[in-house]
Amino acid sequence: MNESPTNPYPAPRETAINRPMLEAWREGVLALQRCADCGAIFFIARSLCPRCWSAALAWLRSDGRGRIVSWSQIHRGLPAAFTAEAPITLAEIEVTEGATLLARVVCDRLQSVTTGSAVELMRLPDALRYPLPTFVMTTERSR
Amino acid sequence: MSRRAIGLIGYGSSVYEKGAGRPEFAFLADAAREALISAGLAKTEIDGLATSSTTLAPDNAVTAAEYLGLTLSWAYVSTAGGAGGLASVLNAVRAVEAGHATHVLCLAGGAQDSGVFKERIARFTGALADYVTPHGSGGLNGLFGIIQRKHMERYGTRREELGRIAVDQRANAGRNDRALLRVPMTIDDYLKAPIVADPLRLYDCVMPCSGAEAVVVGPLDRVPPDKRVRILAGYERHNHPVGEIAPLHGGWELYRDALFHEAGVGPQDMDFVQAYDDYPIMVAIQLEDHGFCEKGRVGAFLAANTMTWEGSLPLNTGGGQLSCGQSGGGGGMIGLVEAVRQLRCEAADRQVAGAVHGLVSGYGMVSYGHGLSASSLIVGRAT
Repeated sequence: MNESPTNPYPAPRETAINRPMLEAWREGVLALQRCADCGAIFFIARSLCPRCWSAALAWLRSDGRGRIVSWSQIHRGLPAAFTAEAPITLAEIEVTEGATLLARVVCDRLQSVTTGSAVELMRLPDALRYPLPTFVMTTERSR
Repeated sequence: MSRRAIGLIGYGSSVYEKGAGRPEFAFLADAAREALISAGLAKTEIDGLATSSTTLAPDNAVTAAEYLGLTLSWAYVSTAGGAGGLASVLNAVRAVEAGHATHVLCLAGGAQDSGVFKERIARFTGALADYVTPHGSGGLNGLFGIIQRKHMERYGTRREELGRIAVDQRANAGRNDRALLRVPMTIDDYLKAPIVADPLRLYDCVMPCSGAEAVVVGPLDRVPPDKRVRILAGYERHNHPVGEIAPLHGGWELYRDALFHEAGVGPQDMDFVQAYDDYPIMVAIQLEDHGFCEKGRVGAFLAANTMTWEGSLPLNTGGGQLSCGQSGGGGGMIGLVEAVRQLRCEAADRQVAGAVHGLVSGYGMVSYGHGLSASSLIVGRAT
């Protein structure tokens, strides 16, 4: 891997609210929040449910599988940490549990990304390079 | 004072510059001075000030008053990014109506080069900074690439159709000395430009720059009858739809019927449209959401119209942000200033003949996937 220590990826600010999600990701897990009162499931860590304002939130382990709703491949205008890896594939992903999130899909140039493609969470130890839950294309082999 | 007696009585723009060689206040001051001259007001008559900027903090409307040497009875700071310029005007009208101020100067602008722009966009909101930028989004281009692809795949919208917006706006910029990008563009130039964030290419994206725009809100009878611009209706909406990452509508559709009903006109009566043009796809979505065509049909609509100043639907008649440059918060006011210029018949060799009514719309506060804020005004020549 070609990660350069002089140009680390930008990192999210870690707080008491999003720490469980970030810690889970360091173990290769996508953690979602689920509202115990209304059942809403969402990704961006919050202190209350954005649907019903309940504070009764629990962490839910996603099965890490999803599909691409839409996507873009970014070729230009990337920060230094990413230029050597361009193009970067950024996708809106719907995971099995129903939540949607924006995430990077790491794929090689020969893999064709299409809307509707199945994706799955990147596994350890590769996952440790990336500051937020990151996906790869689901292949026959990984299925 | 009754709302009908209040309107837009002056406007001004700074020059636009690549780079940030002067502080933002200097650009705001240039636009302010031009607006006062246009309104025929003395500086001492300004008692309300609104600022719309995403780069001014920790400065604000009050420290802008310090810089400009104004004493105020009303000060307002916009919260809605590129929708904020129009929102500030709506609030200024309410302030004059309620007697909190008599003449309100609404300023919008920014001072930025591409380095400043990238830095501020990477941390534009907390959600962007923490949950998008770490992925390598390259600013906002990746987010709007996602939105455009969704529109193209769901509705069959083609780049050839969206490109008409960029191409015709560039033709408009050819008649605006202050536009930074005036080299004529063909649809072929647009289609073959370098890829930025597929499906977005270079001419889908704005160029960061420095500049400012200003309008004066006050009693219409303060200016000659042919210089009075009425606000026939105006609305803003924030965070609609809730929780969607890449929606194909932006909130304008929620108030569209009320907006046109209140103004007593329809989309077909608009002599021009000044829409927020951070990307052509968002202009296209604004046309759909305001009812110029059905949702998903904008490709055919664009193909059937010409958007130059003398076209069938004059759009961003000064060139818009796509050709003038993106001056931060100024992008949320550039359309209204151009609208006032047109309605006062002061648009020189890009004057839309017989312009009486126009739509101006704003869009902004891009966060986790899309812009959270929408705003619109219908303006008209007071007759």
